[in-house]
Amino acid sequence: ADAPATAGAKPPAKDLVLKGDAKCTTCHDEADEPRLLHIGKTKHGTVADGRTPSCTNCHGESDKHTNNPEKLKARPATDRNFSKGTTTPVEARNESCISCHRKDSKRSHWEGSAHQRADVACTSCHQLHTAKDKVADKRTQPEVCFTCHKEQRAQVSKPSHHPVLEGKVACSDCHNAHGSVGPKLVKRDSVVETCYTCHMEKRGPFVHSHEPVNEDCGNCHNPHGTVAESLLKVRAPFLCHQCHTPHGGQLGQLQGQLPTVPTATSSGKSGINYTQARGCMNCHTQVHGSNNPSATNPTPQFNLR
Amino acid sequence: EDEDIAALTRPDSSVAVGVAGLSGSSSERSFFGQYNGLRRNDTYLLLDLDYIKRDDATGTWTTLQGRDLGLDTREVQFGQQKQGDWKYSLEYNEMVRHDPRTINTSLIGAGSTSPLVSRLATVGSGDELNLNLKRKNVTVSVEKWLSKSLQFEASFKNEDKNGARLFGNGFNCPSGAAPAPTCTTAATGINQWALLMLPEPINSTTKQFDARLNYSNDKLLLSGGYYGSFYNNEYTSMSATVDGNLNNPLGAPMGGAGLSSGLRSILQLPIALPPDNQAHQVFLSGNYAFTPTTRANFKYAYSHASQTDNYSSFGNAPNGRTNLGGSIDTSLYQFGLTSRPMPKLSLLANVRYEDRNDKTPIAYYNIEGTKIFTNGNYSPKRLNGKLEATYQLPAGYRATLGADYESLDRSSFVPTNSVAGLSGLRQKTEESGYRMELRRSMSETLTGAVGYQSSNRSGSGWLKPNSELGVTETSNSAIYSRTAIFPMSMVDRQRDKLKASADWAATEQLSVQFMIEWGEDKFSAPTTKGLNSSHMAFYGMDLAYILSDAWKLTGYWSRGDQTMHVDHSTGYMAALRNLSDTYGIGVKGKPTSRLDIGADLTLTDDKNEYNQGLDASASAANKTLLATSGGLPDVTFRQFTVKMFGKYALQKNSAVRLDLIHQHTKMNEWTWGYGGTPFAYSDNTSVYLKPNQNVTYVGATYIVALP
Repeated sequence: ADAPATAGAKPPAKDLVLKGDAKCTTCHDEADEPRLLHIGKTKHGTVADGRTPSCTNCHGESDKHTNNPEKLKARPATDRNFSKGTTTPVEARNESCISCHRKDSKRSHWEGSAHQRADVACTSCHQLHTAKDKVADKRTQPEVCFTCHKEQRAQVSKPSHHPVLEGKVACSDCHNAHGSVGPKLVKRDSVVETCYTCHMEKRGPFVHSHEPVNEDCGNCHNPHGTVAESLLKVRAPFLCHQCHTPHGGQLGQLQGQLPTVPTATSSGKSGINYTQARGCMNCHTQVHGSNNPSATNPTPQFNLR
Repeated sequence: EDEDIAALTRPDSSVAVGVAGLSGSSSERSFFGQYNGLRRNDTYLLLDLDYIKRDDATGTWTTLQGRDLGLDTREVQFGQQKQGDWKYSLEYNEMVRHDPRTINTSLIGAGSTSPLVSRLATVGSGDELNLNLKRKNVTVSVEKWLSKSLQFEASFKNEDKNGARLFGNGFNCPSGAAPAPTCTTAATGINQWALLMLPEPINSTTKQFDARLNYSNDKLLLSGGYYGSFYNNEYTSMSATVDGNLNNPLGAPMGGAGLSSGLRSILQLPIALPPDNQAHQVFLSGNYAFTPTTRANFKYAYSHASQTDNYSSFGNAPNGRTNLGGSIDTSLYQFGLTSRPMPKLSLLANVRYEDRNDKTPIAYYNIEGTKIFTNGNYSPKRLNGKLEATYQLPAGYRATLGADYESLDRSSFVPTNSVAGLSGLRQKTEESGYRMELRRSMSETLTGAVGYQSSNRSGSGWLKPNSELGVTETSNSAIYSRTAIFPMSMVDRQRDKLKASADWAATEQLSVQFMIEWGEDKFSAPTTKGLNSSHMAFYGMDLAYILSDAWKLTGYWSRGDQTMHVDHSTGYMAALRNLSDTYGIGVKGKPTSRLDIGADLTLTDDKNEYNQGLDASASAANKTLLATSGGLPDVTFRQFTVKMFGKYALQKNSAVRLDLIHQHTKMNEWTWGYGGTPFAYSDNTSVYLKPNQNVTYVGATYIVALP
């Protein structure tokens, strides 16, 4: 790839994939990385679409790279270079992409987004010279995101998790990496609206609602994975006792652990019954809200049924 | 030569067909097969398809892709598009969740709306019941460029969800909600309470429709449209029938006359299932470039959500109400500005305001003697603001300074609404904070960043629940009682976070990433009960080593350490800790021009500690319990997975691939049993999960390129 451009009276080189690519493909071939010609397998290689770029649209005219006028031993890089260790500023690299992709409504909030502010380049996540861009395939996307989001990489391996590693849910099902109006780059305008796209039964409104549920699912759940069942951040009763005054004064207890066995008259509100099985939800089953309208005793107001 | 170039530039099509075999029983695969469709059977057909064609003359693409077609997680997608002109696609996707737990029960009609409960003679003597959830969704998308600056996009997604999930019902007679004389007549206390396991039937449909028109020119992007989302549940309620007697707390049949008619009738009352609901949203969003370096983005959205599911399957609804009449209107406003007034300075400002207006009519839903309560009404207003400046300093430093603000006004509390298990409420909370970050490219091979963030949340005065209805604003001292607990989302909070990272290209071959995060939340409320502090630390490193052009090694390790202090009002002081290590090693190689091989090893080692302490006011029973049992044991989870593959090219257009996965899972936890004693429901239903699981998967596929 570093061989000088051929000079002389040879006939003009023929373009192989993109309009004007002979400027590059006379030197670069498939032995190079990235494999140049593979751009032809991608949407960028659809020449019939007049909007698709040439090599120089993204990499710049790069005359110093092509001609090496100063005969430097190490040929100067292209005007806009995307390889590891590049000195091309992120903003200039991204402009190569955004100049065309600015029209995409899903990227309307890129400017000012967490990724833009953190100097993430489009090519930090996307591979252009391949038919299979890892981040565009939900089965391989997480490993791209985990390059930076290492805590989430650890969490998705916990026993209670969304099927991310199984390839059925992708990070982009919940997040818009290109910017959003909601927090944490969530895809819709808020956390709850994002969760409702798959868990709409939690939306209500209910006769008896549970306000923290309406505020933010993240009050109780960690969507990336936990040891407690149902993606709960902490298991009951400790989760519930962060807000609620528990009835009874018992320690968390396990069936078979008591030094004094229960009696036939033990209360159901015992340390066992709010610690084991579904914990507090053994009785308060409707933690997301109940639409039971019964106005007679026992009323369902404590989200009991 | 032209054919060689065409092969390198033409989209690839292929089909992969094969067979997979798994070791062990279904219960051995309950973690491994929870979502991947490999739980139930020992052998599976493997079938993947990629048909991707492009008509180079017109730029029209045709794709037909199939994934996991032999499993119950199959996906099929068909689409065509003329790039820059039109596009449509049709997608079908199945997703399954097999609950890792196996239930042993005598329940009849599990997953229906009318299950029949009958007591098992002994724990474990019933039938095995495995619960599944299956989602099947179809998505249709269309896109059309109407002109160079006008684009129309629309999509419709229908998802059917079927199956059942672990659910239940329980009641304790001495509850204030217990009606006399149904429970209180059990003067001996024998028939006081019961817990039942009842799977919740989940047969429902979700529909989402999204349509938008996008306009763009050199400076402006404007996107306006409609988003509708509709949830329909086949069932409104479920009611169990309890046949015969149930167990008392000793695990023996209830004495005397057995299960009282009062408690039986309560256990058989209808249980609400999620109601149908729908929401419509219209929106306008986009961005505008004032100058090449100053841009704004914005969004306005108005939503109307409703819930009018009929009460007909319930009795005793308030007079005149046949449904909730749920109606919520929400307006969202967002405006952001980014600017680079000088080459070294970047500025950002962003504001977001959300106004939820709950218009649901108030009715008397709960009547307990002289207390008459209503449904809730929740109309919060949330305001978020952000300011940030970044400046390029000498010597490669870049500094960022930011300020954040959030306020949440929960609006007026309905005086006849109930306050369940809370000591106080707050109408408004406000949080403001600042953050700073310093980044530096120290050399061509080393970059690093360090950031610090601090915020403080406080709020309006506390609203104390009245002894009858409603709340009264009061001073902190007036609300104080030793056992009071205040909601963790409302109490004052001081939050601090520290973050540092470094990216080092040590040599041409070796690159290393380091990262560390630390965070602390300190909560202060009128009492020290409830949540009073939490801490987190996360650190680790990643390595990538290029051995040669053909071989590459990767590895990582990370450790998470989180603690939380939650105090029970009268029972315990809990110090919870989660310690989690994750390790990964990967190798990929191409030993010959025809052979690709790779392996990934991951290990997750997780421990949860549930330490409970007692204060001076602890009961004698609690003191004895803690002294004798030592409290709750740790919960541990360890999972080791190795995945290996080899792909050998038989010819230019065909290959064989062999995949081997082995997973070992070991879990020691007490959710559904302790020391060999299963947690038993009142009908002796028990729930089991195999604590040691070993699974080996072998898959062989033949891959052939399609012409």
